[in-house]
Amino acid sequence: MITFSHVTKQFSRVRAVDDLSFSVEKGEIVAFLGPNGAGKTTSLRMILQLIQPDKGYIHYAESLQTSGKLEKSKIGYLPEERGIYQETPILKTLIYLASLRGMPKDQAHTSAVDWLVRFGLKDRANDKVSSLSKGNQQKIQFIASVIHKPDFAILDEPFSGFDPINQEIISNLIRTLRDEGTTILFSAHQMQLVERIADRIILLSGGKELMSGTMQDLRKHMGDGQKLEVSFSGDVLSEQLYTSEILIAEQDSVTGMWQITPRPGIALNEALHVLTSAGNIETLRTTEVNLHDIFIQSFGVKQGEENEA
Amino acid sequence: MKRNIFEITKNVAIWEFNRFFKWMDLIKGMLFFGFFAVVGGVIGTWAGSQAVKTPTVAISDFGPFSPEGFTDGAIRFHDMTTISADSIDSLFQAGDLDGILTINNANEASIRLSSDRAWLLMLEQQLNEIRTEYKLSEFSLDLEVYETITAPVALQRVFEKGSESSVADKIVAGVAILLLLMAVFMGFAYQFTAITAEKQQRMTEQVLSAITPQTWIDGKILGITGIGLVYVLFYGAIGVFFLLGLAYFGVPVQETLALINPVLLVTFILMALVGTLMWNAFLAGVAATIDDPNTSAKTGFMMLPMFPISLSFITLLNPDTIAMQILGIFPLTSYAVLPARMVLTHVAWWEPVAAIILLTATAWLLRIIAGRIFAAGMMMYGKEPDWMDMFRLMVKRS
Repeated sequence: MITFSHVTKQFSRVRAVDDLSFSVEKGEIVAFLGPNGAGKTTSLRMILQLIQPDKGYIHYAESLQTSGKLEKSKIGYLPEERGIYQETPILKTLIYLASLRGMPKDQAHTSAVDWLVRFGLKDRANDKVSSLSKGNQQKIQFIASVIHKPDFAILDEPFSGFDPINQEIISNLIRTLRDEGTTILFSAHQMQLVERIADRIILLSGGKELMSGTMQDLRKHMGDGQKLEVSFSGDVLSEQLYTSEILIAEQDSVTGMWQITPRPGIALNEALHVLTSAGNIETLRTTEVNLHDIFIQSFGVKQGEENEA
Repeated sequence: MKRNIFEITKNVAIWEFNRFFKWMDLIKGMLFFGFFAVVGGVIGTWAGSQAVKTPTVAISDFGPFSPEGFTDGAIRFHDMTTISADSIDSLFQAGDLDGILTINNANEASIRLSSDRAWLLMLEQQLNEIRTEYKLSEFSLDLEVYETITAPVALQRVFEKGSESSVADKIVAGVAILLLLMAVFMGFAYQFTAITAEKQQRMTEQVLSAITPQTWIDGKILGITGIGLVYVLFYGAIGVFFLLGLAYFGVPVQETLALINPVLLVTFILMALVGTLMWNAFLAGVAATIDDPNTSAKTGFMMLPMFPISLSFITLLNPDTIAMQILGIFPLTSYAVLPARMVLTHVAWWEPVAAIILLTATAWLLRIIAGRIFAAGMMMYGKEPDWMDMFRLMVKRS
């Protein structure tokens, strides 16, 4: 649907996106992950042509174009900067925003009512938006971005501002949208949700792609995708673990358990050798590396160093 | 979904119109106005009835004037030349007299009052008439001779350039300019509210991801111009009802209205319409660059539409100067200067045609420039583009 090819965007002295290339295929749910300032929102805004790339180009599938130009009615967008008309009735606002994307008013009305029913807000259809709670306003904004059944939806932080129950509802809706034919590109910080719903994940850092692929692919980047949970009896040579070039070690300050991830290409045996030389292993359990681990290991130390700098 | 740009522009225009135009608020406002007008009228009538009772003036000395000249009318006179000064003073102190008039000689008189009164002007006028009669008699002059001497010269105005416009045309020109100003200032207020609120409510990305900035600003200009025009029509309708009311009470309104030149009327309406669109396009572009209307220096642009009005007053001095002819066609000033010229002097047929064409072209150009500034300005949060930025945006083709 979308192909980024060596795209660069500079804002005065900050290079927000740096020679970035990736693509999103039809029917996929692709997640953008990265720390603040990684270039996620800038990339999404460039897809929507709200800002233009300085270098490189963005290719749109034929289905997203009309007469060689991006057909915005086929795209849905939930901006990171949330906002909606406050003093107008909810239903009217949704119909208006759908009409801007070319949806006939009668269809927009039907679709808006359907969505309000899904979110349990049908009774509030004629209330002003400002009368809703912040969370419900977020729902209206979500509806506004997908009400016209877009071919391609860009959702920038779709879970922010929602409680865990509503985050779950939104994640289910994203999957439903995909099943109904909408390709989705979204950014989020809720790792468990991303891991569950994304077909592919693109990790960005400093405007560049750090790694990308399915969860399985990302795990391979992190070694064999296995993580060890270890407890020691007696003294532990902590410094030896922290400075090891064989593994990445992190101790849970509450439980005292050590989270051990072998570095890429390192066999489990070698990691065990480091562990046994650091102390007496009391318990040992292997688990799969999750997205949270990948994120922390990819950005945690590096970001910390950058912040210190 | 096939998108029709005109349909979307219409949707935006209707949305913007409905966002700010509330019939109920307008009617409530008029009811409030009517209520206070009635209350004010009642209080004014009561207070006026106290103030306008016919004043009673005692004359203690007629001097050389004949008492017959002091006829009762707006002022009631009492001959008290035979009454003692103390008695007159008692009546004055008791409030039975409003004043005590003493004529010293044919050129001097004095009046004693508790404080200044509006009816003194009428008294002065009556005294002047009595004195004129006295002097005519003194010099043995006939009244007819006196009127012949003092009659004004009948100056007939023969204009080289066209004929003199009727008072009705002058009123129509003045009203057209005033209504345009009203529409422009209302548009300005709504543009600022609409655009800065959208920026503050972070609506811009949502909308700009769906439509182009040009479509958005076109819809805004049309919708908000529509509000200004509806208000103008509303108050215009009230004016018509007022005129009908005057006609009902016997005021010869129809005769005055019949003097209106329909060609001038159509020209004024056309110029007011295009002029409003032009200024709204200009102001929308400015509003898009404002982040906080409370602190922005750019709110000074609000006074810019007043500038041509001040020029239209200069037209009164001499409407035929080259400067006034140019300003009558120049698009940023024509909407005020040309109507003023048209009622004061002869204007060639091509001048209003050229003015309207240039005004329309400028409105179109400003719409495009405003669209460019709008496109960049609406995505700027927390800072405003400076003058150089604005100039760059104006000339930059997106």
